[in-house]
Amino acid sequence: MINFSRVSLVYPTSTKTILEDLSFEIAEGEMVLVIGSTGTGKSSLLRLINGLVPHHTGGILAGDITVDGVSTQLVRPGELAHLVGIVGQNPAQGFVTDIVEEELAFGMEALNIAPDVMRKRVEEILDLLALAHLRNRAISTLSGGEQQRVAIGSALVMNPKVLVLDEPTSALDPIAAEEVLSILHRLVHDLSLTVVIAEHRLERVIGFADRIIHIAGDGSAEINLPEAILKRSDIAPPIVHLARALGLSDVGLSVRDVRRMTEEIRISGKDIQRDAISLGEIAISTNKLSLAYSEKKALNSVSTQIYSGEIVALMGRNGAGKSSLLTTLVGINKLSSGSSEICGIKSGDLMGLVRRETVGFIPQEPSDLLYAQSVESECKQADKDNQSIAGSTFALLKRIVPSINPETHPRDLSEGQRLALVLAIVISAQPKVLILDEPTRGLDYQSKALLISLLKNFAKELNRAVLIATHDVELVAELCDRVIFLAEGEVVADGPTLDILLSSPAFAPQVAKVMSPRPWLTVSDVMRAVAE
Amino acid sequence: MKSLHPLTWWIWSLLIVGAVISANSSWLAGISIVGATILVWRFAADAPWARSFWFSLKIGAFILVIRTIVGVLIGVPIPGTKIFEFPILPLPSWLAGIRIGGVITQERLLSSIHEGLIIVSVISLFGAAVSLTSPHKLLRVTPIVIYEFGVATVIATSALPNLVQSIARIRRARLLRGDEKPSWRSIALPLLEDSLSRSLELAAAMDARGYGVSRKRSRYRPISWRGLDSVVVFAAALILSYTLVVLR
Amino acid sequence: MKTFTSDIYRFSLSSKIALSLTSLFAAAGFTWPFFATDLESARLAQYFFWIAMPIAFVLLLTQLSDRSLDAKSVALLGMLAALLAALRPLGAGAIGIEPMWFLLILAARVFGSAFGFLLGALGMLASALFTGGVGPWLTYQIFAAGVIGLLAGAFVKELRGWREQIFLLFISIVAAFGYGLLMDLQFWPWALGTNTQLSFIPGGDLQINLRRFITFHFLSSMAWDIPRAILTSVLVLSTGPAVLSALRRTKKRAAFLTPIEFSERLN
Repeated sequence: MINFSRVSLVYPTSTKTILEDLSFEIAEGEMVLVIGSTGTGKSSLLRLINGLVPHHTGGILAGDITVDGVSTQLVRPGELAHLVGIVGQNPAQGFVTDIVEEELAFGMEALNIAPDVMRKRVEEILDLLALAHLRNRAISTLSGGEQQRVAIGSALVMNPKVLVLDEPTSALDPIAAEEVLSILHRLVHDLSLTVVIAEHRLERVIGFADRIIHIAGDGSAEINLPEAILKRSDIAPPIVHLARALGLSDVGLSVRDVRRMTEEIRISGKDIQRDAISLGEIAISTNKLSLAYSEKKALNSVSTQIYSGEIVALMGRNGAGKSSLLTTLVGINKLSSGSSEICGIKSGDLMGLVRRETVGFIPQEPSDLLYAQSVESECKQADKDNQSIAGSTFALLKRIVPSINPETHPRDLSEGQRLALVLAIVISAQPKVLILDEPTRGLDYQSKALLISLLKNFAKELNRAVLIATHDVELVAELCDRVIFLAEGEVVADGPTLDILLSSPAFAPQVAKVMSPRPWLTVSDVMRAVAE
Repeated sequence: MKSLHPLTWWIWSLLIVGAVISANSSWLAGISIVGATILVWRFAADAPWARSFWFSLKIGAFILVIRTIVGVLIGVPIPGTKIFEFPILPLPSWLAGIRIGGVITQERLLSSIHEGLIIVSVISLFGAAVSLTSPHKLLRVTPIVIYEFGVATVIATSALPNLVQSIARIRRARLLRGDEKPSWRSIALPLLEDSLSRSLELAAAMDARGYGVSRKRSRYRPISWRGLDSVVVFAAALILSYTLVVLR
Repeated sequence: MKTFTSDIYRFSLSSKIALSLTSLFAAAGFTWPFFATDLESARLAQYFFWIAMPIAFVLLLTQLSDRSLDAKSVALLGMLAALLAALRPLGAGAIGIEPMWFLLILAARVFGSAFGFLLGALGMLASALFTGGVGPWLTYQIFAAGVIGLLAGAFVKELRGWREQIFLLFISIVAAFGYGLLMDLQFWPWALGTNTQLSFIPGGDLQINLRRFITFHFLSSMAWDIPRAILTSVLVLSTGPAVLSALRRTKKRAAFLTPIEFSERLN
């Protein structure tokens, strides 16, 4: 179906070879996963398939790419729309119109397809993707998962033979991501669509990938069966890391496989001693805190204490009140009743510099805080805002990301580097409490590891409190001491990470699922159990 | 009211505007303002564009006041019943030798208000058409010959509500950083960068989905013209023909 | 085989001709009060242009929407127009103290005059459709905004640094006053009517009519144009470099007119 023969790619503005001498063939109905670190050319590879690269971007393409026998050299991307559908990272960015049905029809209108055919295809897609009840809704009012389904639908409506997805879940929360991936699963199995997907949540897609293309970053790439690639790749889901750490002969791709291989370890592993965390004084304290927007209750009688030196995860569905709680703590919302304090200061009294010095807040879109022309001037501005010593923010950033170039425009940084910059800006004010709202969206494994070590350092060495709203169980397992679980504005569970994550199978991290019933959450837990 | 054709209220308002202008009557102008107000108040959807009628009324009132003041102060005197008299204040000759003030007659005042009312009614009728019609729907009937420009307008009108949300989000992020009065720069620049990078993503998506490939375009679900549309337009046409034929 | 990616929107020859013809017509639409012979023809002219200007503009658009309006230009046009429309009501006025002008000028400067023309027109239209202000004056506003975009993108494209700032300052002031002048021209006949000392005299002496208009314009200028000029200049000076750099980086990333090369082997 897709044929790359000796393909090399160079962009016009750089001398770097993005891909070099790449040859492979993807058969009809195959599902191929593309992995590689950020900035290695994953997107370029995907966009080569429908000719967006180089027709849209310019560049030198050597070799030949054909899709269903059509060479991408000869036709423009739009003329391949009936062969290749492409879905991007952030669904909201690719919508032309504002109504679901209109959006589905946009491509067909542009290709002058007869109205009755259009009607039929739109109906089919609405059914296939379970969008029928949303057909007349404004796209901006849909949830992220629904939006991504519309984006997939508007690609599928052209009846393509190939579907290309570029990190379709990276901008979504895990529940929406699950929704999208399960749809995808169905498409692969029922329609025998050829699917090429780049996805960083490997654990979710590895089960139905036929092959993996691993892009190394130096222009070379390898295509092979998942087991073969994952044996060596540094990008791998937690169970693969587990299998490698334990020195198993095979890497299993599903919890079931690895469970079979590790039966002995579950029996022989020793109980591990967990260090008690040393708690400092109370950093955040709420007592019967309630909050209502006009008539809707957002938070109901939330009482909790968070201590310095503690890293606490705030979990719960979308709309459970996580963001409301975070912003109320910082003093943006007026509480209806109860009280809330940070370091002895009433939330409502946190203003301006006092707020900055007491709480550091990383918003969902870190780039909302960036408005300078370079990393350096962004850091200088932060020094001024925080009234800290000149150069301290940049020094901090340099410690987190040693390779960062001060001249770079903040918008040209990768997702992970940008988060690091915002973290540096916020932390350089030396806040006593750090609050993060969904920090791991769109981060690859490396950036996540960086974030984890940085936050651990901040909380443990400096003895500060960290509160993270997140859906990411793996992050919670690696990082957090305690989990507060919210549902409909109320605290339904509050306790040590181990207890909370193990008590519900839906929230157990992969390693815990493998090692159940032993209480080991992470690879390092298991290794300690084996070693002791 | 949902089922009306997007052009119906536009045609209706143009016809009524024609009637008001040709009748040149304050009464008809007044009635049409009241009628438009009732229509908007009764039938306009709860949407951002629905407010534009009230905005038009405000502009109209502003223009009425300005016209009346200007007409009274520097109007060419119209002989008639004297209401009161201002002292005459001549301006220097480089200001065209205008005299401010003088005798204000009832006729002068009424003539200013009469002309003002007609203009207010024209403005408010246009405002009513905007309020009663969704711009998104209106764009769906843009002629195919201006397809490209139409798509750009669709993008603009679809993106506008998102921009308002983004502004709120960025403002909140600044607030959370302890920036009580965020500078206009700190909000505008992230917003601009967001929009620009979005437009590049959008361009790629459009290219991938077949934009610009075919010279001809088809239309999904053409909007049909119904009986009620004809009734609305016919009623307005009747009023216009009445003013054209009977009042002359 | 070597080709190029699509270019940013530029006028074709036929578009230039159409634009010139429409501009001539629009010039008549703006200046008819000086040439009206009597009261009745003035009345007719007013309504004729209220109807004919939109029609002429739609005809112009039909010509301009040719295939050179590619996906990148259309997407940028749409998003920037939305930004203009969002900026407009942030200002104070119905008449024009709006912070949209500085972005129009800067965007036109970066993306060229043809793009600037469409952006000005579309920004006006989108904001009118959403925030009200549709009326007989809308086409005049659309046209005036288009002309400002056209001019802002037309001159000394290579200028950078402080020289560019000076140039932009100059353009901002010209645009602020030019827009005011054009709006007053269309406002003058119908806002004042025909029987004040500042109104035009149908069939009157051109000199007298001109003097009357200039006085009228001078008075309204104090109220609107000077604040608008100041606001636009301040915005251009304070945010100009940052906004320009954002726009230029986007233009670079959009890869307009970039070579595409297909070859057998990479050498």
